[in-house]
Amino acid sequence: MPGSDAAAGAELPLAGCRVVERSRTPAAAYAGRLLAAMGADVLMLEPAAGSPLRAAPPLLAGGMPVSALFAYLAAGKRSRVCELPSPGGHEALHAALADADILIDDTPVAEREACGLAPPALARRFPKLVHVSVLPFGDSGPKRDWQAEELNLLHASGEGFLLPNGLSNERFPERAPLKIYGHFAGYQGGCMAALAALSAWWALPAAGGQHVDVSVQDAALAVGAFALQRLGDGSLEHRATRRFRYGGVFQAADGFIELLTLEDRQWDGLVDLLGRPDWSADPALRDPLERSRRGDEINHRVREWMRQHRVDDIVRRAQELGVPAAKYRSPADVVHGAHERARGLFAPAALPDGRPAEVLLAPFQFRASPLALARGVPALDESRQAVPETAR
Amino acid sequence: MNPSLAAVGAAGAPLAGVRIADFTIHAAGPFATHLLSQLGAECIKVESKARPDAFRKPHAVYGRMAAATFDQVSANKLSVRLNLKLPEAVALARRLVAVSDVAAESFRPGVMQRLGLGFDALREARPDIVMLSLSSSGQSGPDSHFAGYAPLFGAWGGLGWMSGYPDGPPVEMRHVMDHSAGLHAALALVAALHQRRRTGRAQHIDLAAREVASAMVGDALVQSALGESPQRPGNGDPSMAPHGVYPTDKPDRWLTLAVRDDAQWRTFARALDQPGAAQDERYATTAARLARRDELDALVAGWLAGRDADAAAALLQRAGVCAHVSWNLQDIADDPHLRARGAVTEVSAPGIPPRPAVGAPARFSVSSGCGIRRLTPALGEDEDYVFGELLGLSRAQRDDLEARQVIY
Repeated sequence: MPGSDAAAGAELPLAGCRVVERSRTPAAAYAGRLLAAMGADVLMLEPAAGSPLRAAPPLLAGGMPVSALFAYLAAGKRSRVCELPSPGGHEALHAALADADILIDDTPVAEREACGLAPPALARRFPKLVHVSVLPFGDSGPKRDWQAEELNLLHASGEGFLLPNGLSNERFPERAPLKIYGHFAGYQGGCMAALAALSAWWALPAAGGQHVDVSVQDAALAVGAFALQRLGDGSLEHRATRRFRYGGVFQAADGFIELLTLEDRQWDGLVDLLGRPDWSADPALRDPLERSRRGDEINHRVREWMRQHRVDDIVRRAQELGVPAAKYRSPADVVHGAHERARGLFAPAALPDGRPAEVLLAPFQFRASPLALARGVPALDESRQAVPETAR
Repeated sequence: MNPSLAAVGAAGAPLAGVRIADFTIHAAGPFATHLLSQLGAECIKVESKARPDAFRKPHAVYGRMAAATFDQVSANKLSVRLNLKLPEAVALARRLVAVSDVAAESFRPGVMQRLGLGFDALREARPDIVMLSLSSSGQSGPDSHFAGYAPLFGAWGGLGWMSGYPDGPPVEMRHVMDHSAGLHAALALVAALHQRRRTGRAQHIDLAAREVASAMVGDALVQSALGESPQRPGNGDPSMAPHGVYPTDKPDRWLTLAVRDDAQWRTFARALDQPGAAQDERYATTAARLARRDELDALVAGWLAGRDADAAAALLQRAGVCAHVSWNLQDIADDPHLRARGAVTEVSAPGIPPRPAVGAPARFSVSSGCGIRRLTPALGEDEDYVFGELLGLSRAQRDDLEARQVIY
């Protein structure tokens, strides 16, 4: 870690961990981003034209075109141009890997050898390197060369077929399944790649360096394990039927609310929230199985009540009563949220054109050594310009 | 070591030798420790007969009217009983933490402190303990007392709002949200273990599941912080067309397509025997196709209406086009690729017929032993090893503790 950053980052969980990242997908970039947020020194090797993620939507308005996705995923990293395959690129790759602990790489299998990124060759040259490959379908298996974007992967892992459930499906039952916003599957792959990288690095004293094969499809399936478990139980889930017997998304007077009561005491709180209406006094509803059987009736009643009340009032009262209820918050609500601000969820990160911006720092906190980003969003090749090669 | 534990051994796995005292419940926290157990950690799950984990009970809201016979997130784990309402059980829990590397919990903030098992207490028991507290809204902040489940994490965090048909309501996230929180927690735990290895110091990780949901919309949050108003895109993508989910020749059998650029568009059209469209100037550029997205979607839907989805996906992949069938879980359970990778594995045990489960989360070239080594433990199944061998309690001591419902 160069210069003054070293002191500031010395206390971070991954201080001293040196990561090289070659990413064209959100999965690999997210892996590097998570490691950077925890204090690793992450160097992006980019082609001369820059990572494709620099041009990925959504693009920010005003100034030079800057990708909001890239800003989020590259904050805290360094950038160096490394054109592969090319003689100079191979030299730059080897120089970067010479003092690296971890390589995060999403180079397609068919391109690896030409790029000097074939795992056996890298293992011979860098025996202590943890080389993590994160690809849409992994780097082994019959579909290792299949190509995919987020939309395909979400559906290849099962969750895509199951969305939307609940109110969206009720309103639009004939429509095509719907993806989760953004790069959900890719991010699971990225987080799994980072976990696998740190696990292999943990095992370094016993195992030495090694190659790790991570698949976005596998990772997205892993977080969807419950649906596979339900299959084993004999239930093939479908978006039209995968809904809570009662609870779910409700339209209030001025927005949407999520409400879910899984325990008896939460049901009692819900009855209080609704003002103890006559229908709720039915003794049969004391039985959770009966409530499940009469879920449609209950939801109908709750919907009628919700429409007459405001989101903030409902949520405040519900949480007082121990009823799990939440507002469906917009990104602006999150960015300006008092809770998020109090927790320091966001960190300043200057964009490559110098504009000040903020990014979500990390989805976890280390209370004994609070996280911080070492730098903002790097301009292409900024590390070569900022730190002369001889000084490294 | 008790011979029955040979099956639990994970010698050669990357996290072999790491021990976890696991107080987590429900889905998110248990998934974190389950992942680490798949990677070789020894995970000791603490429950009690009075407060068994959810999978041991019927779950009517999910339509499960009996206890689960197999619970993915409990697989690989050892089980002990401790009635944490009693001080002696809390003392035993501290002794368990003292011989563990990690303590993990997912109660509402404040519960562990009230039990006498907060971070400071655990650090007294084990000065370099790595502790995970996973909750809906975190250990600090004005909403930290909020109770919630996966759909609420998505709602609070902005992911639910950004997901949905552009003209419809927000979409409810389900277990993937829980497990994504658990996955991120597992990563943070291993990072903290590295920190401990380097510094010898304890660490307390505070993971708010709603913040994991926010991390999934990190790009939209960058936009919002700069005063922009990101809109819900549905299945659309601002840089690709066609990009969507299309009906095929069978009901509810959909094909997902993402055509990356102009060359792929031409390849795509030719592969589907539409040479005229491949040359049509109206669709020649991404900008032109995006401008005619609705028209294009109808055109593509027509081309695919008579085709078998699986055959079309294979055809398009051979041509280098991103295509995949929208798979249900039976497709996934049967997939040779996922089976070959060990991502889907088959498990069985006495009383549990063979069934699919999620296997090793990654493939390591040197480390071995990752994956499911044992299924869901019976309550208290591993007390000979944990209470007897690890904590050194005699049979008489354990009988006494059981009689007084400390071990219960």
